[in-house]
Order: sequence, then C-alpha cells, then structure tokens
Amino acid sequence: MTRSRSTLLVSVLVLVILAGLGVTLAAAQTPKAGGHLNIMLREDLSPGFAVHESSTISTSFPSMPCFSNLVIFDQGKRPETPDNIVGELAEKWSWQDNFRNLVFFLRKNVKWHDGQPFTSKDVKFTFDMLREAPEATAKLRINPRKDWYANVEAVEAADAHTVVFRLKRPQPGLLNMLASGYTPIYAAHVNPATYRTSCVGTGPFKVKEWRKGEFVDYVKNPDYFVKGRPYLDSLRYVIIKERGTRVAALQAGQLDVSFPGETTKTAAEQLKKAVPQLVITPVAQAVSDNIIMNTKKAPFDNPKVRQAVSYAIDRRALIQAVHQGGAVPGASMQPKPYGVWGLLEKDLASLPGYGKPEDMKARARKLLGEAGITAQNPLRVEMATRAIAIYVDMASFVINELKQVGIEATLKQVETAQWHAMATRGDYQIGANLTGLGVDEPDANYYENYACGSPRNYSQYCSEEVMKMVEQQSQELNPQKRLQMLAALQRKVEEDAARPILDWKLDYFTFWPHVKGLVPHDNIYNFGRMADVWRDK
Amino acid sequence: MKTYIAQRLGIGLLTLLGMSIVIFGMLRLAPGDIVDILFSTGGYVNPVERVAIEKELGLDRPVWVQYVEWMRQIMTGDLGKSYRYDLPAWEIIRPLIPVTLELAALSLIVSVALGVPFGVISAVRQDTSLDYALRVFSLAGLSMPSFWLGMVIILTLVAWLGWIPPVTYVSPSENFWLHAVQFALPALAVGYRSSALIMRITRSSLLEVMREDYIRTARAKGQSGGIVIWRHALQNAILPVVTVIGIEFAFLIGGLVVTETVFNLPGLARFLVEAILWRDYPIVQNLVMFIAIVVILSNLFVDMLYGFLDPRVRYGN
Repeated sequence: MTRSRSTLLVSVLVLVILAGLGVTLAAAQTPKAGGHLNIMLREDLSPGFAVHESSTISTSFPSMPCFSNLVIFDQGKRPETPDNIVGELAEKWSWQDNFRNLVFFLRKNVKWHDGQPFTSKDVKFTFDMLREAPEATAKLRINPRKDWYANVEAVEAADAHTVVFRLKRPQPGLLNMLASGYTPIYAAHVNPATYRTSCVGTGPFKVKEWRKGEFVDYVKNPDYFVKGRPYLDSLRYVIIKERGTRVAALQAGQLDVSFPGETTKTAAEQLKKAVPQLVITPVAQAVSDNIIMNTKKAPFDNPKVRQAVSYAIDRRALIQAVHQGGAVPGASMQPKPYGVWGLLEKDLASLPGYGKPEDMKARARKLLGEAGITAQNPLRVEMATRAIAIYVDMASFVINELKQVGIEATLKQVETAQWHAMATRGDYQIGANLTGLGVDEPDANYYENYACGSPRNYSQYCSEEVMKMVEQQSQELNPQKRLQMLAALQRKVEEDAARPILDWKLDYFTFWPHVKGLVPHDNIYNFGRMADVWRDK
Repeated sequence: MKTYIAQRLGIGLLTLLGMSIVIFGMLRLAPGDIVDILFSTGGYVNPVERVAIEKELGLDRPVWVQYVEWMRQIMTGDLGKSYRYDLPAWEIIRPLIPVTLELAALSLIVSVALGVPFGVISAVRQDTSLDYALRVFSLAGLSMPSFWLGMVIILTLVAWLGWIPPVTYVSPSENFWLHAVQFALPALAVGYRSSALIMRITRSSLLEVMREDYIRTARAKGQSGGIVIWRHALQNAILPVVTVIGIEFAFLIGGLVVTETVFNLPGLARFLVEAILWRDYPIVQNLVMFIAIVVILSNLFVDMLYGFLDPRVRYGN
C-alpha cells in the first residue's frame, strides 16, 4: 500500500514536472509580440530605398521590411527552391497556356504605408517600368535588372486584383526572379525617385526615420496585410563603417543581429569563443569569386590562354588560403546543397582547377606553350581588382598561382568609383572579381553575366552555342531535364574559361539567442522581411 | 584693433576664394564621378543613362559654369543638393557640425588639462626620473595613432567588460550621462595624442624662459617657486603653447575622421571621407569650406589672444 502510494506520488510528480516542462517549452516556442531589435549595417543605404536602382545588399537588406513582393522565398525556410516560393501580395498564382501566361490573384484590402489601396495597377506600373515597356509611366534612373524581364511581352491588369504576365516564350524560372529580394512592388502613385529618400511600401514595417550615415528606424505597420504580424514593435538598422566596431557592438549586445555576408569563418570562430551563446549559422552567400578576362583583347582573346589561367588556379588551395575554409568549390551556379542547379562535387573534378594541382599546372603550361608563351617568353599582364581587402586577397593568391605557370601578373588596385566603368568598357586585361546572384535562377545569371552584349558580361565572352543552350534551358519545363541541360551549360562555360569561377563564399550569419524566427537563407539577398521575427527577452 | 581684424578677415576671404578654386579643381581632377558610383551600385554602366544622369545633376555643364553656380549658391546661402542623398546639402551637414565641434573641444580640453601641467612638471623637474617618465608618456602619445588607441580601448572594453560606449549617437537632451560617456573615450584617445605635443612645447618653452634673468631676479627677491613658475615663467612661456593649441583645434576639426569612424560618431570628418568616396561634390566642397573657415577663424582667435597674454603685442599699423 505504502509502496503503491509512493509510486503514485512519484508518477503524479513526474507528470506534473513533464506537464510543466511542456508548458515551458510551448511558451518558449510561442512568438511574443512587442520588442525592438538592432540590426547591423556596414554602410548607408545607397541610393536610399530604391531597390530597383541598386544591386547591392546594402540597399536590399535594410529595405526589405518596408516592401512586399508578389511572391517570395519562404522567410521561414532556408533553402531557396521553387517549392519554397510563397505568396506575398499575390494570394495565389497560376501558370497558363503552357507556361506562357503567369496569372497572379492579388490580396484584397492591402494598403500602402500612406494609406492608398494596393491594386493590380501598382504591379503593372512596377514591371512596365522594370522592363522599360513603351507604355511604362515611369523610368528608373538606372535599371540593373532589365534583362530579367526581357521575355515578358506584356503585363496586364485584368481587374483590380488580377495581373497577367504574358511571356514571349515559356519561362518557368520567371517565378524565381519574382521571389527575389530585388523584386519589390513600387507604388504607382509614388515617383520612383522618391524611394531614394523615403519608402512607401506595403511591408510589415514603416520607415520612421533615416538619419543619414547613422541609422534607419522602422516601426510596426498596424495595417500590415498579415494579421498578427509583425511581432516586433520596431527595428533599427545601425550603420557602422568600421569592422572592428561592428563586431564589438554585436559582442557587447548593442546589436542583436549581424549583417548578411559579414561574418567570415575566422570571425565566427572568434565570436563563438568570446560569446558562446551567440547563434551562428553557416549559410551560402550566393556570391562567387571569379576571374574576368577581356576576350576582345590579346592575350585573352586566345581561348588557350584563358583556359591556362583557369587550369593554373588551385580552387581548393584558394578556399583554404583566402577564406580559411569558409567557401565551397563550384561552377557558374551555386553548388548543392546550397543551390538547386549547381554541379555536384564529383562533376567538378573534371573541370579546370579541380584536379591534382601539379597536373593542372602542367596542363596550363602546355596550353600556354601552344599559345607561344614559354618561360623564356613569359606573359606579362596587369591584374585589376577593386581596392577592397576581399578582392585584393583573392587577386594576390591568383597572381601567385599564375606565376607558377609563367604568367607574370602585377596587381592594379582600382577604386570602386572606377571599377564597374572600367570592367564594362573592357578597359582591362584580366581582373579578380566578385559576383552576387540576386536569386538562384540560371536565367538571372546567364542573361546577366554570360549573354552577348550584356553590360555585366565583363569578359565580353560571346558564344552562339552557349546562348542557344541558355535559351533552351530557360524554356525547359521539366526540372530534371533542365538540370541536365544546366550541367552541360556549366561545364561548357568553365571549359571555355568564359569567367572562371573560383569558389562560392559562405557566411556565418550571427545573432543573439533571444532573436527568434529569423532564418538565414543560402542567398544573402532574399531574406530579412522580419515579419515573423520576434524577441524572446 | 578693428582695422587689424578687418584686414585679417579680408585676407581670410581671399584665402577662402583660393581654397574654393583648389577644392573645386582637385575634386574634378580625381578620377570618376558620382555617376560612376551610382552605376557601381548597379554593377554596370549604360552610356545613354549616364548622359541622362549627368544632365539631371548638372554635370554636363562646363566646369567654370559649375564653379560660378557654386559660388552663387554660397552667396545666397544655398549649399546645393547632395548627389548621393538627393537632399539639400545643408540639411545633411547641419547635424554633423555640433558632433565634431564637441569632440574637438573635449579633446582639446583633455590635451590642455594633461599637456600643460605635465609640461610644467617636466620642465621644473628637468632630468629627474619624473621628467623621464613624463617624457616617455608624451613620446608614447605621439607614437600611438589615436585611431589605434581608440580601437584598443573598444576591444579592451568589450573583452573585459562586455560593454562599449553607445554606437548610435545619444544627444545630451536624450541622456546626458550616456552622452558624456560616448564622448569621453574618443576625447581621451584624441586628447592624449594632442597632449603629448602640448606637453613637449610647454616643457621646452618653459625651460627656455626659466633661464631668463627676470626669473633669477624673482627667485632672488624671495618669491616662492610656485609663484615664479605659474605667474612669471608660464605666462611668458605660454605663447607658443597657445599657437599649438590653436593649430591643434583647427587640425582636429578635419582630422577626427578615424576616431569618429572607430567610435561610430556621426561627425563631419567621417562624413567628409564618405562624401569624397562618393564624389558628392556639393557635400565635399561645402564641408571643406566649413573646415577652412574654422581654421581661419581659430588662427585669428589665437592671434587676438596674444594681445591679452602678452601686452607687448600690438595690433594694427
């Protein structure tokens, strides 16, 4: 009797404790409303909130809370696969006419931050402006992603809450581009130039104040179209130019969240040692280190010389030496598991720069010999790069690699003000470059960086065969078939040394444990809407 | 006196005119412009769009027309529009000025508070262990760049205390004590370096004065050491120190770039560097002109101060 009573007592006690634990766990996981977060920014917004006039994360990331897209990569899921695209201003969408028409059914009762109603007119206004359609009612000062919408024939506002994208040919990848952080909807009643100084969006937060060079303050949008969101009352993006101060501010708890792409592997290790409770998530940045070679000028108009350069650079050694292991090898699309379309590790083995280093360098010397370049007659070139540490470190490594095969390269540091102008003009021989992909979508990458005549195709590489492959994969509706076509395309551009990819950088995204609901993606450009983020403190 | 001030102000105006030509010319000689930077944020360049932006910003006009326009704007109190922010330049510059002036003034107070007494002690105790210790202290100050010292302060604080001063500007009305803490550390970092210079000047100047006959006479008359040093010697030794203080203040207005960056203070020196990188001509030109005005006025102020400190100094013809 006594034993059974005490057993009962223990059982009840255990149940009570378990129930209590359950309640505690449930409470810990239940989002709490209210609170404020300080988020790191490394430079001021440029040009303001005008995302469509910019290709830098310093604009897109701090602007994310203000805007909404038609669709977006699920902010709560890390991989950016087509399956993870969710509706934002669009409640649902439908591909019609064999992927030639994309119809969006928009949410009703959505308001702009100035109180005006959101309608299909705003969507038409935005995309007519982006693709520079004749009927566009506004023009952007600069339009870096016009090529993304080259296949859009018309955007029709069928009614106030239905929009139809009519395409020239099927293009399933369009939806990926619409889900990028670079594709917010602008208000038709606001001059696009206004976004350079202020922000009228439909997003979860409203801009309260932008103090130039200091911070951007946001407050909760009470009219946000998702009921119960955002959880936080306010956000502050704090601009800190000095890297050491940024890290110290994060460490001291003055910042709750780091900046995407900010934390290298070494920095993450130091941070974790100093503040063990920090949450550090290794993710891909969707930014590659690559070599641009001017294919219109000697000596890099000779494919053998370009291939020799590509063979000479030991990718794995570069990842260790320059990034201390904080990058992964890959071809022109971000490799798996970070990206959808990239080559597998085993497929990379046959590409230039991935074999045994001595074999690769021997191959490079042979190719150079065939091009008439020998130890007695070395090739002397100027390696241009931006005067920023991450560029210079990579360029210095490459220079050393090239030296080993008989290419004498001298480093030329180019100020940011001149870099893109110089690269677009083709006013260089060879350069060490970084390229960020706004979205893991082959169409965005190949039309931007490899297509004949594209201003961002700095190598001015132009191949009819490659363009045909790009067009074919773009309209392929079967994802498996498209994947195979893309594998062939990636091999082709690497073998041609169109723009040899050296690695894909990783970010060790860091925040304090009281920050909940913030899921970094494998692409620094597409997360940060902050609607589902809450503070557990 | 009035004639002297008028003359000095006239010379100051001529200097400003010369400065304006130099600033304007040098900015245009630097490679690249705001249009290149704007395209840089887009990652490409389009010649047609480039021409349109140049026209929008007035950069397509002849350089001399742009200069005349800038002069006209200054005369009318309109500083133009920031190319980067698309806002009136004055609206951007105005909040930066008090931050830098306050930091410069506090740094100067620290440097005088440390430099003058240490210089006097060092001179009075010449060649003693205390003199050597203070000379090492001052040499260390001269050798350590203030930005390095600033960074060491921040890293030490975060490593030991897990705390650093606020990284966003706190105004005195918002929280006076936090404001004081925010400015105290950078003022110490900058002031220490400047104090080293002031200390060395004070020491050498005082040593020279203390060898003068009137000091020997004062001592012979039985005056106490303190009175001899503070009333007779220092008063006569202070002129070169005042000159250095004046120069330091003028230097600090434009020279706080790295300290403002390390402590993340929104001052004009830090902003000036950003504006130069962005080729934001209206901001750069007007900020440099502001710094030039401060330099001219502080020099004038120092010269005026001579008259009060040394009755032998007379102004005018």
